[in-house]
Amino acid sequence: MSDLTQASTRSSGEPLIKLTDVTTHFETPRGLVRAVDGVSLQLERGRALGIVGESGSGKTILSRSIMGLLPPRGTVRGGSITFEGREIGNLDRKAMRTVWGKEMAMIFQDPMTSLNPVMKIGKQIAEPLQIHLGMTKQNAWATAEKLLTDVRIPEAKRRLEQYPHEMSGGMRQRVMIAIAIACGPTALFADEPTTALDVTVQAQILDLLGEQRRDRNMSLVLVTHDLGVVAGHTDEIAVMYGGKLVEKADTKRLFAHMKMPYTEALLHSIPKMADPSHTRLSAIAGRPPDMVNPPKGCRFAPRCQYAVDQCHHEEPPLVAAADDPTHLYACWQPVGSPEHRAARERIDSGAAPAMTAAAGGH
Amino acid sequence: MTAVAQAAAPVPAVDPVEAKARRRRRKAPLGFYCAVGFLVLLVFLAVFADYLGFIRSPLQKVPGGARYKIGPGWTAWWGTDGLSRDVFARCIYGSRTTLQVGIYSTIFGITVGGLLGVLAGYFRGAVDRVVSVIIDCLLALPGLLLAIILISRLGAVKESTTWLNWLDRKWQIVLTLGILATAPLARIVRAQTMALREREFVLAARSLGAKPARVIFREIMPNLIPAILTVAFTGLSILIASEGALAFLGLGVEVPTPTWGKLIDENRAKIDIAWWATLFPCFMLFLTVWSFNIIGDRLSRRFDIRQAGV
Amino acid sequence: MRYFLQRLLQFVIVFFIVTFGVMVLIRMGLNAPGDPARTLLGGAPSDQLIAETTAKYHLDSNYLVQYWFWFWNFIQGDMGYSVQNSLPVFDLIKLRATVTLLLGFYSITFAVLIAVPLAVRQAYKRDSVFDRTASGLTFMFVSVPAIVLAPILTIILIDKNVFSIGDYQITIGGWFPRVGNKVYPWEDPVEHIKNFFVPVLVLTIPLAAVFTRLLRGDMVQTLQADFITLASAKGVSPRRVLWLHGLRNSLFSLLTGVGLQLGGIVGGAIVVETFFDLKGMGAMLVGAILSKDLFTVQSTAAILVACVVTVNLIVDLLYAVLDPRIRHARALA
Repeated sequence: MSDLTQASTRSSGEPLIKLTDVTTHFETPRGLVRAVDGVSLQLERGRALGIVGESGSGKTILSRSIMGLLPPRGTVRGGSITFEGREIGNLDRKAMRTVWGKEMAMIFQDPMTSLNPVMKIGKQIAEPLQIHLGMTKQNAWATAEKLLTDVRIPEAKRRLEQYPHEMSGGMRQRVMIAIAIACGPTALFADEPTTALDVTVQAQILDLLGEQRRDRNMSLVLVTHDLGVVAGHTDEIAVMYGGKLVEKADTKRLFAHMKMPYTEALLHSIPKMADPSHTRLSAIAGRPPDMVNPPKGCRFAPRCQYAVDQCHHEEPPLVAAADDPTHLYACWQPVGSPEHRAARERIDSGAAPAMTAAAGGH
Repeated sequence: MTAVAQAAAPVPAVDPVEAKARRRRRKAPLGFYCAVGFLVLLVFLAVFADYLGFIRSPLQKVPGGARYKIGPGWTAWWGTDGLSRDVFARCIYGSRTTLQVGIYSTIFGITVGGLLGVLAGYFRGAVDRVVSVIIDCLLALPGLLLAIILISRLGAVKESTTWLNWLDRKWQIVLTLGILATAPLARIVRAQTMALREREFVLAARSLGAKPARVIFREIMPNLIPAILTVAFTGLSILIASEGALAFLGLGVEVPTPTWGKLIDENRAKIDIAWWATLFPCFMLFLTVWSFNIIGDRLSRRFDIRQAGV
Repeated sequence: MRYFLQRLLQFVIVFFIVTFGVMVLIRMGLNAPGDPARTLLGGAPSDQLIAETTAKYHLDSNYLVQYWFWFWNFIQGDMGYSVQNSLPVFDLIKLRATVTLLLGFYSITFAVLIAVPLAVRQAYKRDSVFDRTASGLTFMFVSVPAIVLAPILTIILIDKNVFSIGDYQITIGGWFPRVGNKVYPWEDPVEHIKNFFVPVLVLTIPLAAVFTRLLRGDMVQTLQADFITLASAKGVSPRRVLWLHGLRNSLFSLLTGVGLQLGGIVGGAIVVETFFDLKGMGAMLVGAILSKDLFTVQSTAAILVACVVTVNLIVDLLYAVLDPRIRHARALA
């Protein structure tokens, strides 16, 4: 059990969260869905990690696996998840309940459906305070008011008495953040926190998250499909595809020296302000792999324009880049290697079709 | 080649618990077939009762059965009643009237209620408001209450109006229960019509200049059938129960014809010494109502009809 | 506020139309044979009474006039006279209303008390053996109308059934009195319970089944919502999530159910009162109809309609209490 005062005294040597070969499979009538298939990574205290991938990559399931928010029946879990050195991967929901809200918290994508429509905002924020920190009702509401101010909601006192439907989408998301940070958790998971919001509000929310993180020395995990979201707000980025981790690096390094063709494609699919109007959007052709029967070899191979025979048959291991051991990637033809350049030439000369198709393939 | 067509979403597109449940529901359950079987058997017995040797006539006296002497057993399968009549036979003949009344009144309800509902749902505006008020008023009266009043007065009306001479008790009940069935049917049909009205194929027909009558008959009505069928079956169970209640209260069909409600009423005074005379008609009523409910429920799940309650 | 007035207006309109319709139905065909007043009063009224009645209720005019006078008298408490019982109808109703109200109140209360924990447990342990058995049972009990259940329960609970197995004798039943006496709770609580138990049970069982099914459906849906996951993720205990977050959001279906079942409850009460000989309004209504005591019929029917419509109005207003979104929408409307 940690609380805010102890937080800053912890040494940053020990990773806060450590995943070792974590798997999460679901039993369905079609077969075993291998949503997360062997992911290992770690997160230091106070750092922000972005987990990026398409729908179907397993990123959401990964974050939920760490939290332990999985359906109770039909789920098969493997691997090890430690939090502050403690193993939590095998704890049941009852045991996790002491962790939820107090040490790990999550905010969800759609703030309208994530807040109880018939309960006052104040009560929803005060609830975890009363449960975990044993505050009296008065104290809890007073703290709730302060939290609302922290998340930049004006007229906090009035807002406490309101219901979710009386607020705008951006405000509701702020309320969710307030609920999440209420008990001072050490790790905050944000699952597509901005997807349901206006672009203008998105930036505000992300800034708010970053601010809270720094103020409270909290670790932040941002799960999203949008590379643009993670670009300015994370310390490191992990890219997932087909239930596996395919690339991981510090943010700046990832954008400068990405190795995985998939990452490259993701980057290219972001529309840029500088492009002239009517530029065709580039999208990645094909669809996410079937998680019941994933392809042999590299899972991205069917959609990868640089793929060669080896890619279709042997799964590339996750290796560290030569010049930076913290940069991990899994590819036989990483960007920048001679094989890659050869493939590139083949494409440019028209011998093989380009991977990125015009909009319509996505 | 890998199957790329089926993409699984991050949270399994099929929640494993839900999937198992759905699989179970899809297989036609035993209950449904039992219900259908029971009803088929009942109808068969009712229709062919006269020709089936093992069913006595409902008025025939079983020797030695006076005053409930004979309990259920070999002589009389379900025992005899106070006038030594065979309970089983009376139950089977009773089902004739009950089923007839139920079906006719449902048809009445479907016709009138369906018509009202379609008109209200299609033409909206003033028509809708008038019909809605009618429906609301019909629904404000508790069903049995309305039935009781109607039946009691219809008798007087019949006597005072010459052209209504055919309206004997049985038809009075049919009319009454039919009126009872009208309101919920009208409501459902109205809701469905309003939804269907805005669907593409209806809009297409209207844009081609089809006259309302044609649109209603060709496009809308065929699509109302699932909803009507569902409500009809569930409604039948309620109507049959109501008929039973009416007969029990003494407002049922005239004396010699047995119906289950009447049988229950006739024999309840002696329920402590001859439970069979009351219990078996009771049971028949229950099984029939239950069967119709099962079928109605199955239909509603099949056609995915959401009703707030008939 | 405006919404409330709108609904009140609807209530009034429906009440008028329905009671008018009832009146027309009852007074239709009165003219032949003989004097309308005579038929209306039933029994063997004196000539003077006939003349008085005709004058007071304007039975010689058209229906609208008749209705007006009926209504005017009605709200003043003059609900006609029953020659059968030699009492003004109002007094008759006063005597009997308590029984019916008690029946209704008990059955709804107990039905809800049974349905809520059952449905919540079902939704929590969805598709477990418990859930499936309960669903099957509730479906069956939905199909036992009062006329079916009354004899069955009578046999089981009221009549003494002695079974001998070898040397042992088991007696089931005989625990409750045969004919229900309307003993008020304040007169003798034990006798009251004994007399009302079986009748109330007959009404409660199908009602509880309906409510359970309604609530279970709603709760299962609610529990799949995001905010439930969030509540769990906040560390809230499952019990609290279930009851405070889940049930609180699902009560609407139950409320709707109560409103819809009201008609059925009245019908059931009529049957039950007749079967168990409880002297309530339902039994009185049936007796009046069979003996052609039409004044009683009209007024009793009017009261029952008023009750049903009032309860529906209350239910509708309660929606606003339960759901702040509706409160909001109505305030804006």
